[in-house]
Amino acid sequence: MDFIELEAIEGLRWSWNSWPASKSEATALLVPLSVMCTPLMQSTELPILSYDPLLCSQCGAVLNPYARLDYTSRIWFCPFCYKKNTFPRSYSGIGETNLPAELFPTYSTVEYSFFNPKLNGMSSPSSSMSLTSMSMASSFSSISSLSGLDSLRKVVGPAFVFVVDTCTAEEELGALKNELLLVVEQLPENALVGLVTFDSMVRVHDLGFSECSRVVLFHGEREVSSEQTQRFLGLTRTKQQYLGKTPVIQKQGFLLPVSECEFNITTAIEEIHSSPQVMPGHRPLRSTGTAILAALGLLEGCLVNTGSRIMVFTSGPATLGPGIVVDSDFRSTIRTHRDLINGHAPYYSKSSSFYKQVSPRLCDASIILDLFACSLDQVGAAELKDPVERSGGFMMLVESFESSQFRKCLRHIFSRDEEGNLKMYFDATIEIVTTKDLKICGALGPCVSLHKKNNLVSNNEIGEGGTYMWKLGTLTSKTCFSFFFQVNEEHKVQPGSAFSIQFITRYRHGNMGIRKRVTTVARRWVANNSPEIAAGFDQEAAASVMARLAIQRAEDCQARDVIRWLDDTLIRFASKFGDYVQEDPSSFRLSSNFSLYPQFMYYLRRSQFIDVFNSSPDETSFFRLMLNREGVVGSLIMIQPTLLQYSFDGPPIPVLLDVRSISPDVILLFDSYFHVVIHCGSKIAQWRKLGYDKDPNHENLRKLLEAPEVDAEQLIVDRVPVPKIIKCDQHSSQARFLLAKLNPSVTQNSTYTDGSDIIFTDDLSLQVFIDHLQALAVQG
Amino acid sequence: MASYVPPGAPRPASNANNPPSSHPPPNFRANPNSLADNLHNLNFNSAAPRAPSPLPGTPFSRQATQPRPPSGPPFPPTFSHPNEPSPWIVPPPGARPPPFVSSASRGLASNGQPVFASGALPGGQWFPPLGSAPQPPVRPPPTMAMARAPPQPPTATSRPLMGSSLIRAPPVQPASPFSAAPQARQPPTTAYPYGQPTWPLQPGQGAPPPPITGSPQPPRMFGMPPPLPNQSMTSVSSAVGQIGAPVAGASKIDPNQIPRPIPSSSVILHETRQGNQANPPPPATSDYIVRDTGNCSPRYMRCTINQIPCTDDLLTTSGMQLALMVQPLAIPHPSEETVQVVDFGESGPVRCSRCKGYINPFMKFIDQGRRFICNFCGFTDETPREYHCNLGPDGRRRDADERPELCRGTVEFVASREYMVRDPMPAVYFFLIDVSTNAIQTGATAAACGAINQVIADLPEGPRTMVGIATFDSTIHFYNLKRALQQPLMLVVPDVQDVYTPLQTDLVVQLSECRQHLELLLESIPTMFLENRTAESAFGAATKSCHQLALVPFLQETLKEELTSLQGRSIVLDFQEAHKLLQPADETLKAMAIEFAEYQVCVDVFITTQTYVDIASIAVIPRTTGGQVYYYYPFSAVSDPAKLYNDLRWNVTRPQGFEAVMRVRCSQGIEVLEYNGNFCKRMPTDVDLPGIDCDKTVMVTLKHDDNLKDGSECAFQCALLYTTVNGQRRIRVTTLSLPCTSILSNLFRSAELDTQFACFLKQAASEIPSRPLLLVKDRMTNLCINILLSYRKFCATVTSSGQLILPEALKLLPLYTLALIKSKGLRTDGRIDERSFWINYLSSISTPLAIPFVHPRMVAIHDLNSKEGDQSLVPPVISLSTEHVNDGGIYLLENGEDCLIYIGNSVDSDILQQLFCISSVDEIPAQFVLQQYDNPLSKKLNDLVNEIRRQRCSYLRLKLCKKGDPSGMLFFSYMIEDKSSSGLSYVEFLVHVHRQIQLKMSS
Repeated sequence: MDFIELEAIEGLRWSWNSWPASKSEATALLVPLSVMCTPLMQSTELPILSYDPLLCSQCGAVLNPYARLDYTSRIWFCPFCYKKNTFPRSYSGIGETNLPAELFPTYSTVEYSFFNPKLNGMSSPSSSMSLTSMSMASSFSSISSLSGLDSLRKVVGPAFVFVVDTCTAEEELGALKNELLLVVEQLPENALVGLVTFDSMVRVHDLGFSECSRVVLFHGEREVSSEQTQRFLGLTRTKQQYLGKTPVIQKQGFLLPVSECEFNITTAIEEIHSSPQVMPGHRPLRSTGTAILAALGLLEGCLVNTGSRIMVFTSGPATLGPGIVVDSDFRSTIRTHRDLINGHAPYYSKSSSFYKQVSPRLCDASIILDLFACSLDQVGAAELKDPVERSGGFMMLVESFESSQFRKCLRHIFSRDEEGNLKMYFDATIEIVTTKDLKICGALGPCVSLHKKNNLVSNNEIGEGGTYMWKLGTLTSKTCFSFFFQVNEEHKVQPGSAFSIQFITRYRHGNMGIRKRVTTVARRWVANNSPEIAAGFDQEAAASVMARLAIQRAEDCQARDVIRWLDDTLIRFASKFGDYVQEDPSSFRLSSNFSLYPQFMYYLRRSQFIDVFNSSPDETSFFRLMLNREGVVGSLIMIQPTLLQYSFDGPPIPVLLDVRSISPDVILLFDSYFHVVIHCGSKIAQWRKLGYDKDPNHENLRKLLEAPEVDAEQLIVDRVPVPKIIKCDQHSSQARFLLAKLNPSVTQNSTYTDGSDIIFTDDLSLQVFIDHLQALAVQG
Repeated sequence: MASYVPPGAPRPASNANNPPSSHPPPNFRANPNSLADNLHNLNFNSAAPRAPSPLPGTPFSRQATQPRPPSGPPFPPTFSHPNEPSPWIVPPPGARPPPFVSSASRGLASNGQPVFASGALPGGQWFPPLGSAPQPPVRPPPTMAMARAPPQPPTATSRPLMGSSLIRAPPVQPASPFSAAPQARQPPTTAYPYGQPTWPLQPGQGAPPPPITGSPQPPRMFGMPPPLPNQSMTSVSSAVGQIGAPVAGASKIDPNQIPRPIPSSSVILHETRQGNQANPPPPATSDYIVRDTGNCSPRYMRCTINQIPCTDDLLTTSGMQLALMVQPLAIPHPSEETVQVVDFGESGPVRCSRCKGYINPFMKFIDQGRRFICNFCGFTDETPREYHCNLGPDGRRRDADERPELCRGTVEFVASREYMVRDPMPAVYFFLIDVSTNAIQTGATAAACGAINQVIADLPEGPRTMVGIATFDSTIHFYNLKRALQQPLMLVVPDVQDVYTPLQTDLVVQLSECRQHLELLLESIPTMFLENRTAESAFGAATKSCHQLALVPFLQETLKEELTSLQGRSIVLDFQEAHKLLQPADETLKAMAIEFAEYQVCVDVFITTQTYVDIASIAVIPRTTGGQVYYYYPFSAVSDPAKLYNDLRWNVTRPQGFEAVMRVRCSQGIEVLEYNGNFCKRMPTDVDLPGIDCDKTVMVTLKHDDNLKDGSECAFQCALLYTTVNGQRRIRVTTLSLPCTSILSNLFRSAELDTQFACFLKQAASEIPSRPLLLVKDRMTNLCINILLSYRKFCATVTSSGQLILPEALKLLPLYTLALIKSKGLRTDGRIDERSFWINYLSSISTPLAIPFVHPRMVAIHDLNSKEGDQSLVPPVISLSTEHVNDGGIYLLENGEDCLIYIGNSVDSDILQQLFCISSVDEIPAQFVLQQYDNPLSKKLNDLVNEIRRQRCSYLRLKLCKKGDPSGMLFFSYMIEDKSSSGLSYVEFLVHVHRQIQLKMSS
């Protein structure tokens, strides 16, 4: 079965679909045993079950098709720990012909939805701000009982705290305000909103105060603890002074349901004005770090646990307080990669570690941090990356709040499903249950290890390791994690036997109900050196996994070390799986399911993820953040962009990502995930300039010109953040977006140009790379 | 030009019972009724007929209503010190021509006779016989009309001031308590009684009048030793304190005859210099009109002794203090010439190049005017070319009379660029209001908001007036009042440990831009915080930081806003509770205060409280920044808002300056020892005054660093560089030149009781926090005793040791000292806060207000009606003794700050009904608001209160007292002459003083 078809069913891509039964052999594979998992992958056939899942009393695994059943005695054997479990009374009717959905062999993935607010009655709201409606953690039963007891309690929606940078220019701010107003207008009634604005001071807006506008100020330079923030905001709960008296939760107005404060928040947003201009020669004073702290403290104080987002809209770097990126004085420049390497970025490590300290707090309170940076300059996304990534937050770097990219993104984030629920999934956890013959090493992706250990957890940590359960602030239907496994040495593995892995993803649905999606899959152990290993190699998944590993490595190492590691791995990989005669490079062959892998690696090592030349630290952070959450297909586009050629000769065809694909009489559609380039050959551009496309006699030219644009729109429709579409002609300056990614097979040094374009570079071309690879691989 | 517009519009009382006053005409003070009323005019009445006819051309002769004969100028040589007994009453040998008294002297009591001992004069002497006062001038000098004639045409618009007032004056005056302001509004020319242009026309009235021919005395007559030393003394009872008969005295002293103050209410006309010599000024507490003829008006600067002892020894021997009381922005009498402004252009005022003294009338030009000799350091400077002028035959510059700086003791120079560090800052008024639960519930917040709301209308218009507002409980709330916003934006600063200010957020906005928002806000603040339940516990912890934080914001503001800031007056309202002691508990406040001062922020604190608030600590800030503490204890939402409003209003509308620096220079031989008042001192020579206003006085103590030459003059110059409310930078230069003497008796003769005693007070006030009370009391008593001893020892010729002989000028010193010892500040039974307030109040108080503050004035008000003929508003003063307080009477006692109305137990209920609308004493309300009812008695009471308010520039806290009540106890605690737990009776005290003197004499 094709890997892609399998993915459509399982939501998983395995770097190896057949695992060698010994640990040494697994290590020798070079590409680790890993699974690219898209937990909430959209699937048309997903059964949604409105009852609680049946758990194994020992290992916590959910009942699944791999379980052995005994209908007569109404027991089931857990396929992971082999524990004997009895069916509860509700399963009394179970039988060969009457199976619950989770036992259907075709349903490797089922979803349990066991809290539906619609059923529990959304009647009148309780008066004040009691956000403690639901205790989180894993005690689901208490939730249902609680909601049953207090059916009058309104379901509190997710909380959104907008953190707005008022150093933004007035026009920009206007565009932002319009967007925010639109967002607020379209939020569900029960969603909570808060507003924080900042420049050199941080203002937390009181939305419940009617006499006048009221804000609480935080000094931009001071780092405030959570307790301080709450004290300043008056969120301190007075301790229970008398026994039996419920603690008084002070009424607060900083975070209110939209229904209660729509007017106030609208006014507050409308009254945001650009801060007065600062001294000439200086950047505006921005206390982004403190603003985030204040918003965080506010959410912590309000004990929102239905999921919440801190959405930071900024237009420049922090110049003040914790998280400072650069001095206010324009004479000091914003750090570049070179500065980081040379240690000339005085604030970088301090600010990064500040934000790293913020991460766990976000995680504990299930808060997502989003960064919308609309600036021509860097804003400090590199420093901010850690909390954004770990909380699963959204990062976008565009040039202006007025850009359609920004608008589309924001609207996409707040889009709703058919039932009117936000398409946002909060407060998720992923739990992995496996059979005893393998161990869990860790995960890469927008998640945080919860450090829950059992005997399935390996000591060999990769990425977020040391746990069988991860916390995800949020996830989308596309968020993809890569999980790493290893063979359990202590367990005698029989080749040919099966092992299974169960992914249990628990999350809060847009309607605030808790859902649990359970995917159970099985693969086989194979003997060492079995050809099944090579046959089960998924080069695309492997490339994605290696890319994640590479960028993880790149966080700590310099690019050249990462490249060396990649090369080294590739050479050894090639020499293991290649078919060659020792010391004869020309004899080197790779089988078809390996053949593209070296090419992926080639493009990876010269991609913006590894080679940071020409990118700012902010951009690099953004690219890596995106790569780290994108599925296999998306990752591959990022690594090796696609190139389609449109010509009069026929339908569009994919062409080599090579400079030789450029031709005067074709249009190229280039997609690197972040950029989509429509590149008109010089001849076509000339025709267009002469207006032939408007000439009815040249209908075909018009169609040719239209086709890539239509396709480009198709490409970006589901992609968030929306890529930048660049339309350019051959030899124009914008064509650099394309040229930079093409394989420089023809350069200024080429003796034989064949009339094609040339790329001025000293980079080695794919052919040279492959030649070297072959030469090195056959050395043994 | 006046350097400022004196306090603006009338300060209408906010409550209905204080009808807004009309402006008294400028000559109000001169009206004969008021003159007659409390003037010791008995002398004049009796003396006038005996007085020789005034010489023609006497300037004062125009003042028909003045029962006094013309003063000084015609008889400069014979002029005696006003505080001395008037020698002319004593049948003197014909050695001297009959002198005239130019100012109120002690009147009868000062006749030089041991009056008390003799008991010869009737008791009634203290008070003018009814009807005598309003008598028309006994005999207007025949030349009067002629003298007047010349001035008339040029001042055609000016009414014949004194004359006309006879007809129009008194009844029209409902006398607003702050009528000083409206008076000053009058165009100065009409208000100027002298009629400026007349001066040059008066023969012999030029600034240095040539000695009157025929006068046998040389011009330096002033310094001549008086021939009759024993005349300048008051002796008390020969029976007092015979040695060896310690207890004897009391019974033998007639308490009615011991010295007591006789308030003078007649307007004294005073020329600061006559015959080229300093004219001793009238007592500070008297009512006088000054003509600046070279020396500054005594309002701006006066010395404790009007002759400067030549040597330190002499001063030490006398036991007296040598100090200056400087009140540079004092409000002049409406009839006085305003201070003239001189603009020297870019070069700035002419100054001595060595000591930097400013040009003044006493700089001597020599060498055909090419050079001048500095009267401070003696250095000879080149006259700047453009300032050169030839000398006349008299050795004066020919242009001396045209140039104010050469003929006036007080002038204002326009400051040139070099006097400005930067452009004058706009005036920022920042109001800080307490909105904690307590303040809200007591009504203090509402009162404060109401007061501010009314007051903003009185703030000067224009782009230079900026306002800001903040409130605080356990957090601080700032308000952005920018007009662009739909509604005011409240900015809460929650971190009270480490306060910060929202910068760049339009906290301080031009008044014109935010008036609407501001009014709206002030109206809503009390309700906005109505539900403020700032947890009490949190508040207690926050309090200490609270008053810090209350202030810090401005600091930071100034720190950051270098461009717009800030000689703001920030006004803090209401604090609650704190810690103890009279010394500031906290160095941080002191440091903060200094920072304030550095940024030219003047802080006034209005404390409305019902508990202890630690004024001692809080007051550091206003004291250091030139501000003031106002204290409303216990705050009452019923009776206090009116006072709060009036205080606030006076605070912002009174004449004032910002960003001031002051220095006093003295002639060689004398140097400044210390400055004392509300200011910040960062350099030893200068004092920094972030804010200075007309009520603030700085005491400057002096010391000798060399001997002075007898017969020379010693000059003092106070230079105050400040920014006016209108944003002009000015230097007010006040120069006083006094003769030097080496004769002890001259010192006693020229000693000035009021100033001396104010000096005592301020010293006591500064000592109280750091010394045991008993020690301070002893020191004050000893100061008094030493002076008297010195006089007794060296000046009194009376041989009988049984007599207590008091120098005439200082005869009230024992009484005042007694009052001081019994005052709130020196009593142990008072509340700490009240004592702190007392101390602080005194630190900047002016001399005229200092005396009544310690020795209050008491009048009877139950019989206001009966004095129908007497048109003075203030009835005769009653001495502060229980025996003068009858059960059937109602008495009003005021000290310039508080006003107690004591209602006897058996007062006629009809009177009660008329005055207070109650039928019996038992119905006296605890919180009293003076109402005007429709009957003459009530009207008179209101008029009286308003008159007092006007005189004291204070609204007064009114309180009703009755016997057998804490309020009654309070009232009786002011009965200084009584024997009480806090001290001896007056008679006993005199005996005590006498005995001490005798002991020291004999030892």
